[in-house]
Parts: sequence; structure tokens; C-alpha cells
Amino acid sequence: MTILWAALILLGLGLALGLGLAIAAKILLVKEDERIEEVAKRLPNYNCGSCGFAGCHDMAEAIVTGAETNLKKCKPGKEDINFKPILEYLDAHPNADGSKVKAHL
Amino acid sequence: MEQFIAFLLAILSSMLIDNVVLSRFYGICPFLGVSRKTKSSLGMGIAVVFVIMLATLICWPLYHFVLVPAGIPFMDTVVYILVIASLVQLVGLFIKKYSPSLYKSLGIYLPLITTNCAVLGVAQGNTDQGYTFLQAIANGLGTSIGFLLIIVTFSCIRTRLDSANTPKAFKGLPIALITAAIMAIALMGLQGLFSGLAL
Repeated sequence: MTILWAALILLGLGLALGLGLAIAAKILLVKEDERIEEVAKRLPNYNCGSCGFAGCHDMAEAIVTGAETNLKKCKPGKEDINFKPILEYLDAHPNADGSKVKAHL
Repeated sequence: MEQFIAFLLAILSSMLIDNVVLSRFYGICPFLGVSRKTKSSLGMGIAVVFVIMLATLICWPLYHFVLVPAGIPFMDTVVYILVIASLVQLVGLFIKKYSPSLYKSLGIYLPLITTNCAVLGVAQGNTDQGYTFLQAIANGLGTSIGFLLIIVTFSCIRTRLDSANTPKAFKGLPIALITAAIMAIALMGLQGLFSGLAL
């Protein structure tokens, strides 16, 4: 009986907190450059940190904003699987003022 | 009136005498990790104050009105971690929205508040020591402000240490640890400050 209560209460608490967080995430949503998400998707997403950034998402942000131009900084990334698609994507999606994102291999 | 004085004294005593960082040794990780710049240490301190206060306000009633009546007070740690983790997520979302630069400078230490033992220590201590709700609030307020005070003071000292002529072997973290030890000794001088007062 006790174990049932424990499970039920934790379940209820988890549901309530999760719901609260989901609502908060909707309200506090930060609009960021959608290209960052797209570039992050094309990175290996190991979040290994060997590029010197805190994770793949940070590296993607640096690439899109132009703070990092050398894609090879990403050690586990493969040219065919990761870097070429990123370059193609960035070619097709220039900055708002029409200039190209300066990324290279 | 007397209760109010006792409340203030309880805050002061958990803030200075039983300081969370320097005499209970909780929350050392952000204390050393985020104290390099005063601005980010202030942000970290305020985030911790916020999380500890909310955790106190939620965890104490949760323990006394849900866990104890249901006969499962032994689940307290798990429940506290669940509550604290969600609160930290919330604070993270909040800071990301309203201060992206602070979000950047806190970096990985922001989600790590989840495992900051100062937060769990307050929530757990409040119920383990049988505090009343008012005492629990005083404990939470005192502990978190104590953390804020120490981390900001420490970051000010560290900014000065950066430009000080320290021996090469002591540069960076070693001299910071020595400084923290000296600060802890200094705070020991406050021990027994309120012992003459009947509390």
C-alpha cells in the first residue's frame, strides 16, 4: 500500500511539475535564429566539447553568427555527413542583409 | 515582537555563523566555478537565493501535508530533488529570456544548481531538524543570502587577485582556495556571537 502511495504521489508531482514547466517554456520562449537549430541538427550532436564550445548548439550558434568559421574544429564531424550539408544549408540561407555566412572547411 | 527578533536572529545566524559555504561546506562547486567575475557571481547568487526560497516554500508544506499523511516521509529526498530540478529549469528559462548574457556567463553552472547541495541541504535540513514553517523560511533566507554574500565577496577578492603579483605556482585556483580558507577562518571568529542571547 505504501509503495502504491509513493508511486502515485511521485507520478502526480511529476505530472504537475512537468505541466508547469511546459507552460513556462511556452510563455518564456526565446525566439532565436532558426538557422542555429538547423545547423545544430547537422552537427554530430555528441556534445563532446572538443571544438571548445559548451556543446553542439553553442558551436552552431557561433557558426551562424560568424564567431567561428572553421567547421573542422568539430573533431568527430565527418565531411560528407556533417560539414557538406551544413555548408549547403548556409549557402541556401544567407543572413538577413543578404551576405553569406562565412564558414569553411 | 520577540518572535520577529528571533526570526531575524535565525536569519543572521544561518547567514554568518553557520555560513553555508565556509562553515558547512555546501555549494563549493559554484563557489569556485562562477566566482571569477563579480557580475556572474551576483547572478548566480541571486539564482540560488530564488531557488532556495522557492524550494523551501514548496518542500516544507509538501513534506508535512503530503508525504507524512501518506505515510511515506522516507521519499523526501527524491521528492525534493524532483522539485528542485523543475525549479532550476524554470529559473534557467527565465534567465535565458530576460538576460541572455547572464545565461551565457553562468553556462553549465546554471543547470548544476540542481545538484547544488546547498539547495538540497536547506530543504532536507528544514524537515530533518523539525523546523516550523517560519523557522524553515528563516533558515532558507539566511542560508541563501549567506551564499550570495560569500560568493560576491569572494569574486571581488578574486578580481583583485588576478592583477596581484602572486607566485607562479599559486596563480589561479590555488590562491583562490587559500583565500577561501582564510575567509572561513575569519568567519569562525563570529562563532558564539549570539550565545549570550536566549533564543
